[in-house]
Amino acid sequence: MARKIRGLIAAAALAASAIAAAADPNTPPVPWSSLSPEQQRILGPVAQDWDRMPGFYQRRLIGAARQYPSLQPIQKERFEQRLRDWSQMTPEQRRAARETYQGLRKLPPEKQHELRERWLHEHRGDESRRGR
Amino acid sequence: MNENEFGAKLKPWLERSAQAVGDFQATRLKAARLRALDAFQEPVRVLGLVAVAPGTLQTIQYSIVQRALLWLPMAALLATLAFQSLHESDPGELDAQLLSQELPPDAFIDQDFRTWLGKSGG
Repeated sequence: MARKIRGLIAAAALAASAIAAAADPNTPPVPWSSLSPEQQRILGPVAQDWDRMPGFYQRRLIGAARQYPSLQPIQKERFEQRLRDWSQMTPEQRRAARETYQGLRKLPPEKQHELRERWLHEHRGDESRRGR
Repeated sequence: MNENEFGAKLKPWLERSAQAVGDFQATRLKAARLRALDAFQEPVRVLGLVAVAPGTLQTIQYSIVQRALLWLPMAALLATLAFQSLHESDPGELDAQLLSQELPPDAFIDQDFRTWLGKSGG
């Protein structure tokens, strides 16, 4: 039984370390030239900034690019339009945005819709200026 | 006294004692009988290599099934953990969702939006 518990603890530790590695500042950078042509095309909007990005963030973007083929056309368009602005946010802003987004996803769909509509209504001018 | 006469005299005593046997004793007696019968059975070859008594083989099989049943929940738990680890170790998925949904990323760092979200219980 003790061996089983040790095995479980080891598995949990492995899972935790995989998650922790996602934001490790010592993660080695990924050269732009090592990306596939498809990844380079998807991440094209941030090509110029790529070499200045920390390795863990580059890997995060590669992970996002992996999801790109499964997106709907409208979602792909948004992804492309927003990628550069997103990458120019500070790490703290991105972290805060992720937290808020996850908070939004926990709400019932009708409440999510209500909040989205409210924000879009109040910022419609800003959005149209951005060419949305 | 020959064997048959001895058996006939013993029979009522055995029947009377058999009625007094409880469930627990009956189970133990049944197990002892099976073990005794096992000794008279032809050995079975496992994978054509080792010859073992059929009872021993049954015990081994039961033991394997029992262990498998014990490990099953453990394996399910580990599989769940591994799946979660793989799922969560691709944080790009969250970013892709955030970038491709209706609201722009600015909305999620907008103080007003965060306040509304807080009031909505998010």
